[in-house]
This record gives sequence, C-alpha cells and structure tokens, in this order.
Amino acid sequence: MKQKFKNFKTFWRDFSANKIAVFALLIFALILFVAIFAPLVSPTDPYDLNTVSIMNSRLPPFSEDFGGNYFLLGTDGAGRDMVSAIFYGLRVSLGVGVLSGVFALIIGSFFGISAAFFRGKYETFIMRIVDIQLSFPSILVALIILAAFGKGVEKTIIALILVQWAYYARTARASALVEINKEYVDAARCLAFGNTRIMFKHILPNCMAPLIVVGTLQTAHAISLEATLSFLGLGLPITEPSLGLLIGNGFEYMYSGDFWISIFPGVALLITVASINLVGDHLRDMFNPRLQ
Amino acid sequence: MTPYILRRLAQSALVLFIMSLLVFGGVNLVGDPVEMLINPEADQAEVERVMRDLGLDRPVTEQYWYFLVNAFKGDLGDSFIFGEPALKLILQRMPATLELACFSLFISLLVAIPLGIYAGYKPDSKVSKAIMAGSILGFSMPTFWVGIIFIMIFAVQLGWLPSTGRGEIGVFLGIHSSLFTLDGLSHVFLPALNLALFKMSSVIRLTRAGTREIILQDYITFARAKGLTEKRVVMVHVMKNILIPIVTVIGLEFGSLIAFSTVTETVFAWPGMGKLIIDSIYNLDRPVIVAYLMIIVTFFVFLNLAVDILYTFLDPRVRIKGTEQ
Repeated sequence: MKQKFKNFKTFWRDFSANKIAVFALLIFALILFVAIFAPLVSPTDPYDLNTVSIMNSRLPPFSEDFGGNYFLLGTDGAGRDMVSAIFYGLRVSLGVGVLSGVFALIIGSFFGISAAFFRGKYETFIMRIVDIQLSFPSILVALIILAAFGKGVEKTIIALILVQWAYYARTARASALVEINKEYVDAARCLAFGNTRIMFKHILPNCMAPLIVVGTLQTAHAISLEATLSFLGLGLPITEPSLGLLIGNGFEYMYSGDFWISIFPGVALLITVASINLVGDHLRDMFNPRLQ
Repeated sequence: MTPYILRRLAQSALVLFIMSLLVFGGVNLVGDPVEMLINPEADQAEVERVMRDLGLDRPVTEQYWYFLVNAFKGDLGDSFIFGEPALKLILQRMPATLELACFSLFISLLVAIPLGIYAGYKPDSKVSKAIMAGSILGFSMPTFWVGIIFIMIFAVQLGWLPSTGRGEIGVFLGIHSSLFTLDGLSHVFLPALNLALFKMSSVIRLTRAGTREIILQDYITFARAKGLTEKRVVMVHVMKNILIPIVTVIGLEFGSLIAFSTVTETVFAWPGMGKLIIDSIYNLDRPVIVAYLMIIVTFFVFLNLAVDILYTFLDPRVRIKGTEQ
C-alpha cells in the first residue's frame, strides 16, 4: 500500500510538471462532475414538457422570459434552455464514449495479451484481423456497421467498440511481448499458475501504462466520432440527445443567424475532447522511453 | 514481390466477400424500403407488385446470390430511388469527391510539413509549442462543427464564400472540375479547408516526430561536421528522410479524407459520393448502400497495397516478408 502511494507520488510529480495537462485534467474533472450530476446542476430539466415552453423558442443568449427564467446561452428551437440541454448532452456523450472505451479496452487487451501469450497461428490470425481493420479509417468502419444495421444506442456503442478494440489489441500485444520474457512470468510459470491467471493477474497489470494512454486518446476519439455519427443522423436516436444531435438540431437555424443553438454544444464538445487529448498527450510523453 | 501481392489480393478478396455478406445481410434487416417508395394509400396488390419488381419477394439468400453473380459482371444492382445502376450513380459523383479530397490534401501538406519540420527542429521554442498546442486543438475539433462555424462566419455573416454546391465546372485537358473556374474554386475552398484542418494536425505531429528522431542521427551530425549549412541539412538531409513516413501517410490520409468527406459533403451540400451514401442510408436505398461500401472498401484495399509497395521502393531497409527466399 505504501509502495503504491509512493508510486502515485512520483507519478503526480511527473504529471504536474506540465501545467497545461494539470489544467486540462481539472477541466475534465469539472465536466465529468457536471455530466454525472446533470439533473442536479442544470437550471431546468430540458426534457420535461411541463417546464419547457415553445413560447421561449430561439431566445438569444442572456435573455429572460416573462416568468423570470434566465437563459444564459439562449434556447433552442423547442424553447429548451441551452445550458441544461448541454449538461444533459454531456451525460449522453460521455456515457457512450466511456462505456464503449471500457468494453473495447477489455476485448482488445484480452485478444492482445492472449495473442502474445499463445503465439503461433492464433496470434497471426488475431493480428491479421487487427491490421486489416486498422487499414480502414475509423469513420468508415463505423459507417459500414451503422449503414448495414441501422441506428440506435446499442448499435452506436457496438460500432464504437469495433472501431477501437484493434488499437487496444495492438498496444496490449506489443507490451505483453516485452513482459512475457521477464523473470516474474517465469516465476509464475514455475509455480504452475494457470494461463489465465498469468495473463490477467501478472502480465496485464504491467501492460496498463500504455493501455491507459491509448485509452484516454481513444475515448476522446470515440466521443468525437459519436458526435459526428449522431450529427449525420446515423448514430444515436433523438431520444438520447447527445452533443452531436444538439449541434445537428442547431444546424437548420444557422442560416437565419441563430448561431448559439449549434455553437455552444460544439464548444462543450471541443472542450471535453481537447481536455482528454491534452491529458492523454502528456501521459504518452511521460511513458515514452525514447523521449527521456 | 509477386507472391506477396498475390497473397495480399487473395486476402483482400476474402475481406470483400465477408463484408458483402455482412452488409447485404444487415441492410436487409433494416426498415422497409417499399414503404418509402410507394404512395401510403396504395393497396396490397400495389405493394406486392413493387416488391416483385425490386426482387424483394425472394428469400435473402437468393437475393444475395443474384447480387454476387451480377457483381462479377460489373452490375451492382439498380437504385430503388433513381432507377439507375448504382455503380453509375456512384461513378458520376466520384469526381466531385476526388476533387475535394485532392485539394484538401494539397492544402494540408502545404501548411503542415513546414510547420511540422520547424516544430521538430526547434522543439523548445515558443512558436513550436504554439504549433503543437494548435495541432491538439485541431485534432480535437470535430470536422462537422468546424464546417458549421465556417459556414456561419464566411457564408452567413461575411457573405464572402458560397456554402453549398460545387459551382461552375471548367474543362481542362478533358478533365471536368470546379478547380478550373474561379466560381468553382470559391465553392471548393471552404469544404476543402474544413476537411484539411483535421489532417493538418496529424501530419504536423508525424512530421515533428520524424524530424526529432532524424535530427539525432549520426548522418545529420556528420553532415554538420562536414560544414554544410543548416539550411542544406534541413532541406536535403532531413527532408529526404522524413519523406518515408510522409509518403505512407499521404496515401493513407488520402483514403481517410475520402472517408471523412461524407461528413464535409453533408455539411456543405457538396454533390459527391459521400453525400450520396448518407442520403441513401436515409432513403433505405439498399443497392446504393451496398455498392458504395463495396467500392470504397475495394478502393482502400488497393490504396493500402500501393502504399506498401511504394514504401519498399522508398526505404530499401524494408523488405517485405516473402520476397526473399
């Protein structure tokens, strides 16, 4: 336990050397807080038909309605408060992004580590699939899935998992190949531990650093990709209003000059993705032995 | 080399086959295209007639078999909506997409390579840090949202550039393109810049990483020891070696530009094949969906193969497995 704490302290010393990354982490923590507690921190419930009034439709930022409700970022076409809609949208976007990231991490590291562990034909087969998949851009892979099977929450998550798992598999295999030759794995083998135990209790924890780097960057990518797909009308249904759908809703009002309906959800998306990317980027530099 | 190419082609054929099975099976589970096509008041006889005309009354396996047989003859089926061959529809719209992708690749390389080399050459300078921060920002900005902002600023507020369509099309050396007229160029500029922005970030990062590694190599130290000017070291020695990763990336980035053009084309109403596929997905125009995905996957397969082969010519250290016995 003490050792772990010490590790964390050295980790934090390295991490906090980059002030921008610390700031980004803070921003992300704030966004995460807002997303988790959206119903508590939102000024109104944007999807409660009793409080939303069509009379307030397309109010510009800083306006107030007759009932004394204040709309900091204006309202959308249906009269919903943009601040609340963005908070709820963050919840959906982050939820889908993180959920798909976690599943992809589990699936990817399972195949990556087992490929490194068992070698042979199995490894060739898995890595061939990974190579083929990574030779297509992620948006195309997602497009194939969603064009073929239609839109929906589960389908979007499945598409995002399929897009990401190959990156995790490649990273997990590469670091597992290094770990497997170390003495502690030999020691575990001498103790006649089962393969599963060696793979996931001994090798996996030592592969976590690069996987976390890939994980942060991939999650940012997944959030952005989900927004794109939802904007195109291929991702989430309108019952799950993510940031991408909010931006798409605002797009039709763009030409009449009502910029805030599209712009503010986009700013929220940009800040979210950029803060995760900044943290991930710094983590990558920290773990990259070639730059030390 | 030949056995390697043959093996790759066989593998690609397998990928295409599996994908056709997946996509064909998938689209046949989603929605009812007949409902989209006919008058809502049509009676059962009419519905059945339309289904028979489209071949939808047959079992899916039989439909797939017909599709495969015809695909080998170069016929990917007729569009439900337009009644024309899907292949023809896609090929008609392909030039617009290629033109957009080429122009935006040009913009992104023109901007990104010099910036990337500079950031790698002087990694600690303020300018380099600004370049890198900018590239993270560019990387994080969703393409479609940037497109919306461009439209808002340059088309709606300032009114400088048009926001939809392809504009006037000129002819040069028998090639029809909007790059040859002023009006066409004004139409292509915003979407191309939008598409380029995302790519710029990754090319900057790649060029920088390459430069940083190359600059530490012995041959650079040696070139300097010979008394070459810094300008020559960067322009010749660094440039030449940075070319290897960049050429690979140009190939792959070009493919990814074509894939991402679906987004930009939708935002800017650019009449390319990317917009066609999105419209077809909305309209459940199954033959066009399947045909587009088959064509684009084939395109990628050949693009990747070309890049790999080119790579071995550029970097003699890379030897493809199977070429040496």
